[in-house]
Amino acid sequence: MDGFEREIVALLPRLRRFGRVLAHDPADADDLVQLAVERGLTRRGQFQAGTRLDSWMFGIMRNAWIDETRFRRRRSAILAPAEDAERVGHAGDVDAAMAARDVQQAMATLPDDQRIAIALVLIEGFSYKDAAEVLKLPMGTVASRIVRGRMALMAQLQEFAS
Amino acid sequence: MTRDERLVAYADGELSGDQLARFETELAADPGLAQAVERHRALARRLSAAYAPVLDEPVPSQLISAARQQPAARRGPPQWAAMAACLVAGVAGGVVLTRYAGPQEGPIMARDGGLVAMGRLETALTSQLASQGGPIKLGLTFRTAAGRYCRTFQSPEDRLAGLACREPGGWTLQATARMAPAQTQGEYRTAGSDTPGAVLAAVDGLIAGSPLDAAAERAARDSGWK
Repeated sequence: MDGFEREIVALLPRLRRFGRVLAHDPADADDLVQLAVERGLTRRGQFQAGTRLDSWMFGIMRNAWIDETRFRRRRSAILAPAEDAERVGHAGDVDAAMAARDVQQAMATLPDDQRIAIALVLIEGFSYKDAAEVLKLPMGTVASRIVRGRMALMAQLQEFAS
Repeated sequence: MTRDERLVAYADGELSGDQLARFETELAADPGLAQAVERHRALARRLSAAYAPVLDEPVPSQLISAARQQPAARRGPPQWAAMAACLVAGVAGGVVLTRYAGPQEGPIMARDGGLVAMGRLETALTSQLASQGGPIKLGLTFRTAAGRYCRTFQSPEDRLAGLACREPGGWTLQATARMAPAQTQGEYRTAGSDTPGAVLAAVDGLIAGSPLDAAAERAARDSGWK
């Protein structure tokens, strides 16, 4: 295993978390991570040394999600809406599990563009500027997606309603 | 920026300079605004908490294998296959990859920093249709966004599967993968599920539109993949 591969392995937990935001279903999410990792390794010649590998991999994974419709097909075929509840485990903590379920359900209703921007900034901790770089979009576009996404989440999660 | 945009940007720590100073003045004069900021920060904390447990889950071994480019089933591959995989990963050289001994026997040669198909692999890629049998099986044929033709292939005898694209200098290898030994005993009529994930991933990265059907594949071959 070389340094590049080691860094990818170190990123796997975060890639899996991002996958869970995108694909909801844990098995689909891991399939998506695997596809992104394979694409990343195939294209490693395009990675520019000195830039952020996490940004690069999140970008590849987001593109894989956008043009890979099979994950969505499978999800809609297998999961009825009622089952589409808890996609992240909170072993033994019922309150946390329920809170997480509500958040995940609310996230699932967002359009892809808002959900991805929200995930990068609020969950993965990218700045607007870095998220814009991942998404190859102007920073203002990312900012407005964050605003719309945040407003939609607030409207759905009652405790935040003003 | 609208008021909501300023509010959200402030909650996310994205305001600076004059914008920050102006917003803080606004904030001091409006308790409702301060509450709104706190609601946005609480939302961020809750989102982050909802997905945090994923980080503590054990990472499935197949993902670690994928990152290390180790096929799940490892069993004495032909030496050149491993070398080819290395070269595809970015190491260039000017050597002829040999399967057993002689310098011209391998199906893949490194040239100009890339890998090109040689011998019977090149012949199969150039002339064979997916419907035709032989030691090498052709799978998907498709075009890239740039209009190049690419084809997946499997060579059970060599335990090699891969993706090659037509370029002026020949068929260049975009990805190669070792086939598991168990796969070498069956039928190879189509690529489909037999094609290793690494090769499919390379297809996913290059394909524009849908794979060619049998008629289009034949037409492309008959016109010399131009």
